Amino acid sequence: MGTARAATATLPRGSVVARAWAALGDAVAPLSNPAGRPLTRTVKLILDPLVLRPVSNPEFAAGAIAVEHVDALRSRIADAGPVLAATARWFVVLKKERRRQWITDGNPQDLYFQRCFELATGHGPPGPDADRVAASVLAEVHGQGGPTVAGLRDFVTDPANAEELNRQLDAAWAAAGAAANAAADAAVDAAVDVAVDVAVDVARPAVMATDGFLATCAVAPDRALFGELVVGSAGSAGAAELDRPGVALAHGLTDRDRPVRPELGRSASKRNLPKPFDRSVLERLFAPLTMAFGRDGLADVPTLVRREISRSAGAWQLGDEESRLVLLLGRDASAGLVGRPSGAPGTAAARLRSRWEREAYVHRVLRMPSAVPPEVRADVHGVREAYLRRLWVRLHGRELRGEAVAAEQVWDLLDGVLRSVILDQRDRLRSALEREAVA
Amino acid sequence: MKVSRSVEVVVGDWPASPEVAAVVEAAGAVLAWDVLGGGAVPAARVHDPVRAAEWLWEVYGDAADAILGDADDVDVPDVGDWQVRDACRVVAQLNWAEAWWPASAVAGVPALDSGVLGAERAVAVSTVEHVLDDPDAVERALASVVPLDVAASDPGLAALAGRVAALADDYGVVLAPAAVPDRSEFALAAGGADGVGGVTVLSGVSTVDWALVPQGVVDAAAPAEWAVVRRQGSTVLDVSVAAGPRPGRLAARMGEVDVALDVVDGLGRITGSAPVPPAVLLLPPDRRVVTVYAPGFAVPALPEPGAEARRAAIIEYARSRVGSPGATATERTAR
Repeated sequence: MGTARAATATLPRGSVVARAWAALGDAVAPLSNPAGRPLTRTVKLILDPLVLRPVSNPEFAAGAIAVEHVDALRSRIADAGPVLAATARWFVVLKKERRRQWITDGNPQDLYFQRCFELATGHGPPGPDADRVAASVLAEVHGQGGPTVAGLRDFVTDPANAEELNRQLDAAWAAAGAAANAAADAAVDAAVDVAVDVAVDVARPAVMATDGFLATCAVAPDRALFGELVVGSAGSAGAAELDRPGVALAHGLTDRDRPVRPELGRSASKRNLPKPFDRSVLERLFAPLTMAFGRDGLADVPTLVRREISRSAGAWQLGDEESRLVLLLGRDASAGLVGRPSGAPGTAAARLRSRWEREAYVHRVLRMPSAVPPEVRADVHGVREAYLRRLWVRLHGRELRGEAVAAEQVWDLLDGVLRSVILDQRDRLRSALEREAVA
Repeated sequence: MKVSRSVEVVVGDWPASPEVAAVVEAAGAVLAWDVLGGGAVPAARVHDPVRAAEWLWEVYGDAADAILGDADDVDVPDVGDWQVRDACRVVAQLNWAEAWWPASAVAGVPALDSGVLGAERAVAVSTVEHVLDDPDAVERALASVVPLDVAASDPGLAALAGRVAALADDYGVVLAPAAVPDRSEFALAAGGADGVGGVTVLSGVSTVDWALVPQGVVDAAAPAEWAVVRRQGSTVLDVSVAAGPRPGRLAARMGEVDVALDVVDGLGRITGSAPVPPAVLLLPPDRRVVTVYAPGFAVPALPEPGAEARRAAIIEYARSRVGSPGATATERTAR
């Protein structure tokens, strides 16, 4: 053990967990990677929420573990050894059954890890009836219960519903239009109040209000400030401009001069989805329904559609104030992606900017094109617009699954969206290159 | 290793140019090996110490704390469990090989098999998943895997194919069923042998800057050959360059003139010619330079100083990797 460690008196949690995990031996190999470390999803879906539980044991949270807690963490994992070994065996059984049934839907780790842990806790290791149990778990996970794309399409295209749904859309949009000015004014007033409360410049209330949270959200998210911004409807206030000509367009959220009431829609395809505000109700709900993971959090089709109709008429065309706020935070933090760098070191804006600049270097190292092919140009030059679109889709998906965004999750979301935009650009550049080669 | 601190924490000597840098994008840091340097321990640029702390010990052992503390020089222990670091190196090496491997018939560097590369990288990525920036890195790596054309005689490759299939199962990824078409077959028109006649007035050779053409399009070691020819009363610029394993359209620029190179001749060269104003003959020698580039990929630019010697060293290095037990399976089995 180095002297530096003795001085700081902490150990990285990753190394403590790795050592404790190694002590469990081959019994947990199905939950481990080829180097014997727990899989990323083993940590995310099993160790964190079910074994270490940092919510009730903050001393086990990711990051540095104080040396006085190291033994407790190790013994917590060691004590869970038998359950983890049984979880691993259940995972093997479920994978076998999955192969037998030719199921290819979704990531088995995402879909089965927590189920395996439940089975291990409830049944112990797989017994003589393991195959039967596995089959019933798979039937549950992959079952046709819950909303489906076909059910959604049938519902919105059924003439018996369409008229009423269109009427609801009209009503929601008419109400939103009438209330827009008043609501926006009120929201701005509220944001000013918040800004005054936190003693920042009152001249630019909405912007300054997010600055405070964005300054530290990556390392020390200010939960109280986030809460004040939510209560003060800063996110809704930030959407007030979107109805003015060209504003939503400049945000990359529509191809129209101003957003218009969405159609119900008749079909949808994953490729060539229109920009978020130009999507029909069907197109908005389609992607989340095609994902295997997280579908059990979705409401039934009529509820989904009804909520989507009212959501579409809301600020940012989102339903929850938290999501609207996060979109506003993303808009402000991404302002520095293009043009002159903005934001002091450590702020969300500076961190996003540095990710984007790193990409220019990685680009050269990976021998990606230095000239931008026309089909990707809009994405590269419009990185901020691509960013806001992706962020909207993420927030919308979370709303559908009922996953509210907490203050602690904001930075991972803001950063992860840029990463995803960047990696997508790389993939698109690669395939553009390959098309070039066969052209 | 030296540690310096400014906006980032920089550990060790960063590779000087992109074509020698074998890079891994880790969570909160970028790791880089200089392929010509040969050391096992990478340089690092840590931009998010909190995220990097979770795994930095896998790469620097006990020195990780000092790196994130205030040391300006650290010793990385030799002895330790370096499985994850070594797998990071494999990922980095394969990222490098995919971008810069200098396949060349002229220099005797065989092409890599992209099936082996994709499979070997996916397995290595799964070993270092917890280190990487991209939470979906394994799925992404599996998505680029093309089926292995496994020679029965190579048990190593058969085992690799088995491991990648099991990995795809574990992540619920359905591997691409068919091999990508061999682009060289229909990418370019075939042309007759060269020598339509004419009087060569000027000629020369120029090296091809790797950064201006996609990987594999040209033979990495062969120069572009050009000639200004008087033919049937006009002046034309003929340019040809030896094709690599994956030929594609190119262009060449001399002064203001662009020549499309879109024909493969009987000698396997990508060629083209275009009329030029006779005034090119009056260009001073230092401007009579032909720059080969791939339109839509790069714009013609002057090569960086020292590039030629560095590229010769890379070709030498690549040749030494083929068949070498210390190399990745991808490099080892190039043929």
